[in-house]
Amino acid sequence: MNTSRRSSRCRHVVVATLAGGLAALLASGAARAESLVADISADEVRIESNFTGTRIVVFGEIARDALTVGRPDPYDIAVVVTGPEVDVTTRRKGRFLGIWVNRDAETFSDVPSFLAVHTSRPPHEMAPRSVLERHRIGLHFLNLPIAHASDVPITDRANFRAALLRLRVASGLFAERSGAVTFLSESLFRTTVPLPANVPVGDYTVSTYLLRGGTLLAQDEQELRIAKTGFEQFTFWLAHQYSAAYGLIAILLAIFTGWLAGVIFRRD
Amino acid sequence: MQIYLPIAELPVNMFMVFGMGGAVGFLSGLFGIGGGFLLTPLLIFSGIPPAVSVATVTTQVVASSASGVVAYWRRKMIDFKLAWVLLVGGVIGSAVGVWLFGLLQKLGQLDLVISLSYVTFLSAIGGLMLFESLRAMARRRAGARVPSRQPGKHNWVHGLPLKMRFYRSRLYVSVIPIVGLGAIIGFLGTILGIGGGFMMVPALIYLLRVPTNIVIGTSLLQILFTMAAATFLHAVSTQSVDVVLALTLMIGGVIGAQFGARMGQKLRGDQLRLLLALLVLSVGVRFAVNLLVQPDELFSVAVSPLVEATR
Repeated sequence: MNTSRRSSRCRHVVVATLAGGLAALLASGAARAESLVADISADEVRIESNFTGTRIVVFGEIARDALTVGRPDPYDIAVVVTGPEVDVTTRRKGRFLGIWVNRDAETFSDVPSFLAVHTSRPPHEMAPRSVLERHRIGLHFLNLPIAHASDVPITDRANFRAALLRLRVASGLFAERSGAVTFLSESLFRTTVPLPANVPVGDYTVSTYLLRGGTLLAQDEQELRIAKTGFEQFTFWLAHQYSAAYGLIAILLAIFTGWLAGVIFRRD
Repeated sequence: MQIYLPIAELPVNMFMVFGMGGAVGFLSGLFGIGGGFLLTPLLIFSGIPPAVSVATVTTQVVASSASGVVAYWRRKMIDFKLAWVLLVGGVIGSAVGVWLFGLLQKLGQLDLVISLSYVTFLSAIGGLMLFESLRAMARRRAGARVPSRQPGKHNWVHGLPLKMRFYRSRLYVSVIPIVGLGAIIGFLGTILGIGGGFMMVPALIYLLRVPTNIVIGTSLLQILFTMAAATFLHAVSTQSVDVVLALTLMIGGVIGAQFGARMGQKLRGDQLRLLLALLVLSVGVRFAVNLLVQPDELFSVAVSPLVEATR
């Protein structure tokens, strides 16, 4: 089955090349006769002092041409917004001498600091596990490798994994919304991805996947940058690059405020 | 109105923070305490990361003690030499505290140590104060005069070597207990984000027999410097001092403190101490309950500190 698909793709490439005149943008899509063009409403989110979260709109079009094979399955769209990857430690409290303390810990590596998966229908209906896992379509298909050996037995590891997902979902940093991608027409689609107030800063990728009948037909990728700006960025930069100067400024500011209050509210 | 905190990396309601600063400032003016032991848990319970809460409260304590120091300095009620010796200990204690703070954060036990220390210190000191104030009230009701301490009386502290003369306090004592006291309070202040005034004042009066009128100003000056050192060390080693949060707390705090101080003049000393004892105890009990009752959520997640991207 695999080889036949590859050969049919080759044939399409040949046909497409012969036909000529197709834009380079569409070349890869043309092999399967469907292509995907997607974009985001803003490629930069600026965090200012009044930032309380925002949303970005991801929209696009499924382009078909004469070569499109008519198939009964509907088109599926998945939009995956991924933040910079970090190592995350999940800890579990246990009772120790009568009090509740952190006892077991498991560190997962390369965990996206933010992950929003928007799909046109539940991911498990869209494609086989291998496809979903490769592209992180759905929280249940997110691979979480452990960073280093720990005392947690393998049978218990699933609990830590589930807890990580549960807590990330609760804090709004992970989300899976099936049915959130809406089709405006046969080929036009759109979804709105909320970015919560506590969204981590960094370079994000917005990946859009077009699937049909369990096969990935086309994909598109955009860069999204979430950055502090102005005063917030400067403060963070100062605190990390020139921490001694930052500390001194904080102290002087505090002494000045205290002195000012002492002078203003002077009672004698 | 929401305001984004650049270091904590989350927005908070500015009026809520301002109100917390004001309420704690009111109590601090009322009881003559720094209020750090109330403010740090309040910030933690309202969702600000513990590391940022502790580090930022040290900055807020600098502001509140600075405003007190101005008032006492004007009335010349500060023993600078004594404050210096306390400070030497304070800096040592703070440095150890910051080192341990970073270590515990790495091990994931910072929250536990903060909670355990709160339970221990607040319960012990709250209990002692409650007992003392109730006894004073009972005695006053019985019509007896509360005996004042004789300044000439010595205890074991006065037998230690390395003696030094403090003219302003009319004292001749060993520097060992003074440096030690400074170190303990600097250490606790750094770990817990408290000024330690509620421990320093009784220790100076009962242990070293410093005249009461000198104690508060000297203690405030010492706290000012110790907490300034703690702010600096936190800024350098953990980078978790949030100036925006600190400034909002300070402004609320200094205003609240003025109203508190006025209210405090209308209450009797033993009544004030009883109220303060109950307040201290209840914060301690709140922490104890957290440790003893099984939490709803056993798991917690934390991003492992990695090489931070500069932006």
